[in-house]
Amino acid sequence: MAIITHDVVIAAAPRRAGLVTTVLRFCRKKPLGAAGGALVMVMVLTAIFADQLATHDPIATDAAATLAPPGEAHWLGTDHLGRDIYSRIVHGTRVSLAVGLLSTLLGSVFGGMVGLVSAYFGGKTDLITQRVLDILQGLPLLVLALVMSAALGPSIENVVIAISIPIMPRAARVIRASVLSIREMQYIEAARALGLRHLRIAFRHVLPNTIGPFIVLTTAQLGSAILTEAALSFLGLGVPEPYPSWGRMLSVSAAEYAQKAPHLVLFPGIAISLAVFGSNLLGDALRDTLDPRLRGAQ
Amino acid sequence: MPRLRPIVVLAAVCVLTAAIVATPAISQTPKSGGVLTVMQREDLPQGFAILETSTISSVWPSMPCFSNLVIFDPLKKQESVDTVIGELAEKWSWQDTYRNLVFFLRKGVKWHDGQPFTSKDVKYTFDMLRETPDAAGKLRINPRKDWYANVEAVEAAEPHTVVFRLKKPQPSLLLMLASGYSPIYAAHVPAATYRTTCVGTGPFKVKEWKKAEYVEFVKNPDYFIKGRPYLDGLKYIPIPERGTKFAALQAGRLDVAFPGDATKTIAEQVTKAEPRIKATITGQNVNDNLLLNVTKPPFNNVKLRQAFSLAIDRRGVVQSVHQGGAAVGASMAPKPFGVWGMLDKDLASLPGYGKAADEKAKAKKLLAEAGHGPSNPLKVELATRAIPQYLDFASFVINELKQVGVEATLKQIETAQWHPLATRKEFQAGPNLTGIGIDDPDANYFENWACGSPRNYGGYCNEQIMKMIEAQSQELDAKKRLAMVIEIQKKLEADAGRPTIAWRQDYYLQWQHVKNLIPHQSIYNWGRMQEVWLDK
Repeated sequence: MAIITHDVVIAAAPRRAGLVTTVLRFCRKKPLGAAGGALVMVMVLTAIFADQLATHDPIATDAAATLAPPGEAHWLGTDHLGRDIYSRIVHGTRVSLAVGLLSTLLGSVFGGMVGLVSAYFGGKTDLITQRVLDILQGLPLLVLALVMSAALGPSIENVVIAISIPIMPRAARVIRASVLSIREMQYIEAARALGLRHLRIAFRHVLPNTIGPFIVLTTAQLGSAILTEAALSFLGLGVPEPYPSWGRMLSVSAAEYAQKAPHLVLFPGIAISLAVFGSNLLGDALRDTLDPRLRGAQ
Repeated sequence: MPRLRPIVVLAAVCVLTAAIVATPAISQTPKSGGVLTVMQREDLPQGFAILETSTISSVWPSMPCFSNLVIFDPLKKQESVDTVIGELAEKWSWQDTYRNLVFFLRKGVKWHDGQPFTSKDVKYTFDMLRETPDAAGKLRINPRKDWYANVEAVEAAEPHTVVFRLKKPQPSLLLMLASGYSPIYAAHVPAATYRTTCVGTGPFKVKEWKKAEYVEFVKNPDYFIKGRPYLDGLKYIPIPERGTKFAALQAGRLDVAFPGDATKTIAEQVTKAEPRIKATITGQNVNDNLLLNVTKPPFNNVKLRQAFSLAIDRRGVVQSVHQGGAAVGASMAPKPFGVWGMLDKDLASLPGYGKAADEKAKAKKLLAEAGHGPSNPLKVELATRAIPQYLDFASFVINELKQVGVEATLKQIETAQWHPLATRKEFQAGPNLTGIGIDDPDANYFENWACGSPRNYGGYCNEQIMKMIEAQSQELDAKKRLAMVIEIQKKLEADAGRPTIAWRQDYYLQWQHVKNLIPHQSIYNWGRMQEVWLDK
């Protein structure tokens, strides 16, 4: 049995393309997805080099320069407390990306585990788990995040937890669907026949084969996580003051001064739109590329 | 065309002039009828229980139901002892050099449930507020107990006479009784009832309170002032979100704003968009201050308190947080709206009121003396209410503290949890707003600075200053009292027990067809509505 497997692996091993070739091929086949990837990459780099890219301290107030229009001293103007909007957007990228990525990963990993266990063991475990997930999925993402955030209080950690919980049932459903088909595969049957333990089969042989749907899920959820963080911050339940968050920049005070200084809401709004747009484009393209049923789709 | 005789032209001009002059006079004759729609900041946190509340959110929509013994004349914008008029009391008299205050009550006044009003109701109310052992009622919370600390007894010997016997002379007691915070409760109605409905003697009766939707009042046909109120009813509509509520006002869904809610910028935008809405600029008697918990480290160290006070650029707060819609002042409201505030030239000599850079240098020096510098920065957690008015101020404070090397983080507290937390002193420091019922030193100092007062959140207690507060309270000569109050302000600023940063101004908005709703210099005392009418 082992010899046969060895032979099959050798015979079936394809020639692996390099990373650059893969990326170039992806760009050629999915130009919109590549544009989305570029936007996400710009976000990542902005977050990493925020200290170098910012022109001012993002929390520094300046009573002499309140509501200044975009100009040389302040590229995107200042808010009602005289804080530099460009620097706040640059530093806000860290918050948005960190909250978006962490909550998506947390929700996807935990949800994935639940989906794996539920599908692998099946029976009553699957039945009970699915009903609990039905209840969780019945609640809209934003409403559930609002309730969680209000209950836990405003802080970055709590926002991450609040956003990750509604992601969990979605992740569980996607991974469960993959596991349901994988567990019927012959190599899983073979592993069982060899007497391998359930944990080893689940984590060594089933889980690695769900990585495709997992990546698609993560990128697809990133945009909505960023948007939820912005909504929570807008409602005062997100990242606490004075740390910059795109959603909070659009919040009550900005709305109050929007007629007098429209740049207060314009630039953070553009930042949110681009981030969500970018991650959605990338997510769609990855789904098309990694999903065998959609591989031919353009 | 025949030429007109000069006499005819003159007569025509006279008639026209008389007509033009007379027209506004005719339109100023009050009209009866109509329902006033009123902006409400949030749902009523304590219902109609004014005696249990510390927020204008409850006082404003509850005032039309109640009556006081006396009240500030609703038609005069500047409150003072000269503008106090009788309400349930027809007249009053100070006796024994301000030691006894005798009220002669109106006869024939009825509660909204038809029961007669008597002096027993007055005694019941003030015994409950003073928490006397034989008080017939009890309040769940009693924020202004210290307003009446000097009252020895309230006697209701006759059905229409009440005597307040004081331990020491206190002329300001009359002003505190004129505040919207001092209504008379019915002795035959349990105090807890007022949390859900209202039995008062005021110009309007509660028709319905649909939580978070509206509070409706109808005219009280048995109101004791004949011909009042002019309006048939009132409807208060709670709209918490700032943009939405002022859009509703601009669209004509509301007739008047909520006191203290419109900032200078909002007022400018709304009046520009709708010229028929007028803005009245006045004081609020609400200040931005920095709560410091002096009962435990680090702020039991006066040097650190002083450093915090020096670090905050007060003019910067006025300029940025309020966009110029506030004024710098010490612990009493500054002029022109406040009576007891210090003049700018006197303020300039106080710590924290000089040039921002110089004051920050002094703050750094004090921090260094207390052992804090770049290698050992002072770390502080600030707590504040999670609403924009507080958060903007908190953001400014954090940056100011950062400039002198203090690392401050912010903990946002929901409104419902804020007052219990502050009363239990479960905070280190907190950017805060404090509203005071009336512009008078007794109301402010006994409520917010007296040792042991429930509203003295930071726990500041200075025996020497307490003696000065009590001395000014008994002083009958107005000039001498003002001098004493200024000395108290100087000492409080030097001690930095609760640094005052700025005094907010109100840009009260109302449609031009609303008449006789005159904003006062304190937001708490002009919501009775009995004189208001609609020129529609």
